[in-house]
Amino acid sequence: MAAPMRKMLHGTARSLECPWRLRTLCAAATAAPAAAATPGKSAASPNGGSPWRLLGALCLQRPPVISQPLSPLQVEMAELLEQIEVEKSRYSDHEIRALEEAQRLERKKADIYDSDDDDEKDILLVQDLEDTWEQKFLQFKPEPRVTEADKKNDQTSLHRKLDQNLVLLVKEKLGDQETWMLPYAEWQVGETLRGTAERALATLSQNSVEAKFLGNAPCGYYKFKFPQAFRTENSIGAKVFFFKALLQSGNLSQARKKNDHAWVSKEELGDYLKPKYLAQKTVAVFQFA
Amino acid sequence: MAALGAAARALALQGRSGGLRACLPRPCWPHAPGRESHLWATALLSLRAALPVRGEPLRKKKKVDPRKEQAAKDRLKKKIKKLEKVSQELIPIEDFITPVKYLQEERQRPEPEVPFEVSERRTLLMKKWTLYKQQEAEAEQKKIRSMLEAQQEALRELRQESELLYQAAIRRDDSLFPFEKEGPTYTPATPGYQAPEGKYNDVTKVYVQVVHKR
Repeated sequence: MAAPMRKMLHGTARSLECPWRLRTLCAAATAAPAAAATPGKSAASPNGGSPWRLLGALCLQRPPVISQPLSPLQVEMAELLEQIEVEKSRYSDHEIRALEEAQRLERKKADIYDSDDDDEKDILLVQDLEDTWEQKFLQFKPEPRVTEADKKNDQTSLHRKLDQNLVLLVKEKLGDQETWMLPYAEWQVGETLRGTAERALATLSQNSVEAKFLGNAPCGYYKFKFPQAFRTENSIGAKVFFFKALLQSGNLSQARKKNDHAWVSKEELGDYLKPKYLAQKTVAVFQFA
Repeated sequence: MAALGAAARALALQGRSGGLRACLPRPCWPHAPGRESHLWATALLSLRAALPVRGEPLRKKKKVDPRKEQAAKDRLKKKIKKLEKVSQELIPIEDFITPVKYLQEERQRPEPEVPFEVSERRTLLMKKWTLYKQQEAEAEQKKIRSMLEAQQEALRELRQESELLYQAAIRRDDSLFPFEKEGPTYTPATPGYQAPEGKYNDVTKVYVQVVHKR
């Protein structure tokens, strides 16, 4: 199943990722003389003979801040469980006090006992207590779950869609076209791929963003071939390896201009990324709940 | 031991015969003492015979064995006493112990009369819930499996590219764990929120488990 998918990948990638190739080729043109200068490596091929160029990309996610709303079935079940719990429980002190006071009120109404049984507890009834508690609760105003950024649909803000994972996408100008993609950087000799991803993050945000990388291993990859015109003898295409990171603090807004980056949720990925790019196996990378 | 027993019996007989002799009015010394002395002598002889014959090894066994046995018995008794006195105290789980005041009669709620339709609805809802949870669990496992598969494929491709990078990728990341993160809440945090002033006294009981040395 993977093999035919990969073939489809190559076929479509050739037509779609043309702008990407242009950019990477410029990098190749600059890298080739640099690679030739490095000793101990074959000229114009930093990968030690392999025809694929290596890119490290960053899948930076902002984890959800609030819980997701309950589905109707979940709401029903929660209510049922609460009912059963109350039915199986014993009376608490508060309830016993309420029952006693109810009895006392009944006796008062029956006019049997008047002021004989007037204890000190009469000053504060259970009802009064509950009212004061209710008032106190209403005084506290929690933050709304649907924020302003949600209403404005501001894609660059981090306060949007607080109950979902958001992924960072950047708009890169490749040749004549501007495409949305995950931030990436070309692999340099002497660093691991995770280092490449970290470098991509640093250059993108100018060190204003703190992220926790989840391990040394990539979470997915994407392979594409350059179109015929751009292929050299040593680079047929490129392999992008995605690394997952969780956003801890900081935002990009200071570093980049507006409309250059976006924090998108899983459903909106389809609007931004090319449909074929989205439909591949690398989407498994975006399997966030 | 048999010789000793015989010697003891002989001595006892001798004692009895001595008693009989005392009741008799006339002193018949010549033969009775001869008989006694013969018995006594045999008893002595047998005793002397008994002791030296198995003297050396027996002596050693007598001294060491009883001492060892006695010491072992003492140790056992001490252990038993210790165990009986203080059994290992397990730390109680306070959540599982119902306080006594809630077991009293007046605390019981009256039995709720659940009509048939309501109980039917409840059972059906629970069945739907189990199905839903099963689907949710399966979806989660599928997601995890697909993520792992994608990762494995990426590693395979990386291996094809360069062995060095592959080895760097599969190395364990020590800075990852311990990983702590606050989970999602119901409402987002209010920026600049001042919690109300107050003190609280922490009355949780801290138990220390004593480990008994064996």
